[in-house]
This record gives sequence, C-alpha cells and structure tokens, in this order.
Amino acid sequence: MSRRFACTFLTLLVLVATVIVAWPGHTYATQDRDAIMAGSSAEHWTGTDDLGRDRTVRVATALLLGLVCAAAASAISTSIAAGVGTVAAFSPGPVASVLMLLSDLFLTLPWLFLLMIVRSSLPLNASPMHSAAITFLILAALGWPACARAVYNGALELRGSDWMIQGRANGLRTGQLVRQYLLPHLRPLLVPQFLLCVPAFLVAEANLGTLGLGVAEPLPSWGGMLLELDSSAMLARSSWVFLPIVLLVSVLLLLECLAYEV
Amino acid sequence: MRIAMIVLRKFGRIVVLLSLAAMGTILLMRLAPGYFADAREMDVKYAQATRSELGAEEKAQGSVASTTLHMISGFLHGNLGESRQYEIPVSDLIRPRLRVTALILARGIAYGWLLAFCAALPLSTLHKGGTLFGAPFTVLLAVPSGAMATFFLLSGRGGPVLVLTLVLAARDFKFVRQLLRSAWKAPHLLQARAGGARPDQLILRHVMPNILPNLMALATLSLVTALSAIVPIEVIFDVPGVGQLAWAAAMNRDLPVLLAVTLLMAAAVTLSGFTSNPARSFGAP
Repeated sequence: MSRRFACTFLTLLVLVATVIVAWPGHTYATQDRDAIMAGSSAEHWTGTDDLGRDRTVRVATALLLGLVCAAAASAISTSIAAGVGTVAAFSPGPVASVLMLLSDLFLTLPWLFLLMIVRSSLPLNASPMHSAAITFLILAALGWPACARAVYNGALELRGSDWMIQGRANGLRTGQLVRQYLLPHLRPLLVPQFLLCVPAFLVAEANLGTLGLGVAEPLPSWGGMLLELDSSAMLARSSWVFLPIVLLVSVLLLLECLAYEV
Repeated sequence: MRIAMIVLRKFGRIVVLLSLAAMGTILLMRLAPGYFADAREMDVKYAQATRSELGAEEKAQGSVASTTLHMISGFLHGNLGESRQYEIPVSDLIRPRLRVTALILARGIAYGWLLAFCAALPLSTLHKGGTLFGAPFTVLLAVPSGAMATFFLLSGRGGPVLVLTLVLAARDFKFVRQLLRSAWKAPHLLQARAGGARPDQLILRHVMPNILPNLMALATLSLVTALSAIVPIEVIFDVPGVGQLAWAAAMNRDLPVLLAVTLLMAAAVTLSGFTSNPARSFGAP
C-alpha cells in the first residue's frame, strides 16, 4: 500500500465524514425514539444505537473527533519532545541529566494507569468536550519521552557538526542555530514521530473508552462506539454494530502505512 | 568492584525514579480538578449540610503533605495504605490478585515472543512477499486490545492469554523480523552459509547470539505493552487480577489502590529495564 493511496483514502474518509456530520437533520445526540436499536433503513443507513441515535452520524463524528484530537495531541507531544531534547542537548550536563531523568520517569510509568488515575480524578460533572480535551491532553503529556531521547541524541550529534560550529563562529545565537540549522535536520525524526503518535493515541483512547473511562457521552468516540460490542442485544439485531471497529482498524492501518512510508 | 559500583548506581537510579514516580503520581492525583469529588455528593438522599461536611472532611485530609505521609506510612507498614472503597489495607487487595496477573503476563509474553519469533524467522528469509505474509500481524497491530478481547469473548474461543499473546506478537513481530533480516545479512553469516553450515546451525550458532542483546531490550518493551493491555483484557474477561482491581479503583475513585497499583507497575518496568540492560551489555559481542 503506497503512501499516496493511504493519503487519498484517508482524505476521502475525512471528506465523507465531514459531509455526513454537516448534513442537516440528525446530529450525534439526536434521538429517534421510534427507532431504538433499529437496523439499516432509508432514514438511518447503518441503523441506530440503544438510545435511537443515528450510527452513521456518530461514527463520522467519532472519526473526525478522533483524528483532530489525536493529531493535535501528537503535535503537542512532538513539540514537547523537540523542545526537551533540544534544550537538553544545548544545556550544561546537570540540566541535561535532569531532563533525561524526567523522560525516564515518564517512560517508567505505564500510560494506561496514569490515564486511569487522571480520568478517574476528573469532576463528576465534567462536560463531554472537557473529558475529550483532557483525555487527549494527557496522552500528549505522556507521549513525548521516547522521542525526546531520540531528539536529544540527534541534537547532540548535530551540535558538534562542522556547519554548526561555523554558524556559531559567524555569531549566530543558540536560538537562531536551533531554528535555522538544527530543526530542519531533525525533521526526518520528528515527522515520523508525529505520524506514529496519531494511531497510538487513537488506540489508547479506544482502550480507555472500552473501560468506560474515555470521552464522556453523548460525544461519540471510538472507545465509546466500541462499547456497543458488549451488548449482546445489539449484536443480535444488526451487524452494523461492527462498523466502528472495521472503520477504526482501517483508519489505523492507513495511518500506520503513512507513518512507515514517510 | 566495578560491577558492584554499576549495580549500586543502577539501583540508586531505580530508587530515585520510583520516589519521583510516587511524588509525581500523588501530585497528579491531588491537583486533578475532581480529586475531592465524592459520588455521595451527587446523591439526593444526602442533605446539603451532609454533602458540605463530606467535602470539608475530604479537603482537610487531602493536602499533598498528608496524602504523601499517608502513603509513606502505608508503605512503611507494608500495607500500602487503606482502600477508600473497601476500607481494608491495599496490600490485602493486591496480594491474591498479583499471582493471577503474573501468570497471565508470563504466559502471554512467552507465547507472544514464541509466535513472533516463529513467524518472523521464515519471513525474514523471504526476498518477496514478506509484507503480504506479515499482513495478519499488521492488522492485529491496528486492533485495540479491548476490542480484540471483546471479539474473543463473544466468539467463545480463547481467553486472556490468547489475546495478550496476539497483542504482543503483533507488536514484537516487526521488531524481531527487522533484527533477523539484519542478522542474515551479517558477513560472518554469509561466510558460514558459503561454508555449508546447516540452517539450524546458522540459527543457533550465528543468528541467535547476534540478536540476543536486542531481544533482551525488547523484554522491557513487551512488559510495558503487556501491562497496558492487561487492564482491558482482565476487565472484559472478568479475571480477578491487578488490572481489574485498578479499573474498579478508577471507576470508584479509590485513589490509594490506584496509586499502589501504578507504583507496582512502575517498579516492574524499572526492574525489568534494570535486568535487561546489564544482560544487553554482557551479551553484546
């Protein structure tokens, strides 16, 4: 599967999801009380859930929300990694040691347990949007250490290169050196990191959701949608229940393909 | 003497890391906006005065210093504090579940490695079609462990060990295949092949010693992956392990239990890194 195919297919999915969400009529929270757990029909193409909400709209919203939030979290995480790695490489030894100890500390703590701690400590009346923002912000805050170590090693090597020494001899300040010389050279490291974090964050959110600790209802998310699979009543009525998992796996495969091809 | 110093330094680093992890987790918990929220405050059967009293009582007990002191005294007493939900020592809750989780983890990691290695070994020798034959692992990698566990539970086939095996095999397969590919291309291996060495000799005498140090590093990664996957797996299969306990604690805001479990997991990861790194340095050619 080529990078172009993955990119095209993902764009197509996002476009279709956007059209479905923007289409006037059903929203992700609109309930059709006459069509609880309904199968496929002209009004609800892929049926409804146990509260009579249109599954197509909910899956499309989950796809958009997941991609946007995971991409934002990944951008934050990669920026933190770039910042910490670069600062550590250009700082005196003790500062670098402390920063690397901090990254080791985050690597030591298993993600899911920290996520569970923070999600369980949220106010009971937190809004769905807040829960989504906090979930992905925590993911961003936990996802940087491995990349920071790689950036630190890369930046250390680059710091001693001839052109960096020449740049310093020409009177460029550290900030200018980092911006003009270092970051462009670290791009091959940062771009795959950004692309790899997106599917990783989507999977983490889906796992949290299956535990009931993900994005709060009624906002649809991959994790929340996968919870439908637990309902034997839903499974007996419609095979469209499997749509979220099929779509999630497809999106993850496309994202992973994109990340490995870069 | 030198080895003793290295071990001592590494041990010191573990102690510092775990202390920082404990402090960080307490701060994270304590500063979380809903730390003082109590499900009873939402219950209409409690009068406003009672709810305020509950809030005030928790605020009085919930300063960072008092939480830290409670935790330290709990750890020093060996009971890891007291569960908010069950009002019994946390150690009493964890101890019987530890064995269940350890067994699942040990079997899952062993089978996962075996599956990844057995699949990667023949595929690493292929010049073409490696991507196609490796596709099942790529697909497995894209399935969240919770969804995989639900699927196996519904189909009535397999259990927690199978799901953990598949999750780990999917993660380790690519890494092992890459290692093996590099190992097959090593000059001494080409010479051994030219010398007429049998495939089993090649694998046992040349390939394995070459990739063993990197496989040791994979052990820590596998443990981290397994610890994260074990929670949804135990919850979905209703296995009375530490993962299920952590989930129940999270759902019921039983933070002392959650803190103890998190630190236990952090200790397991740090210790596995501690044991795999010297093995790497001793095993390196």
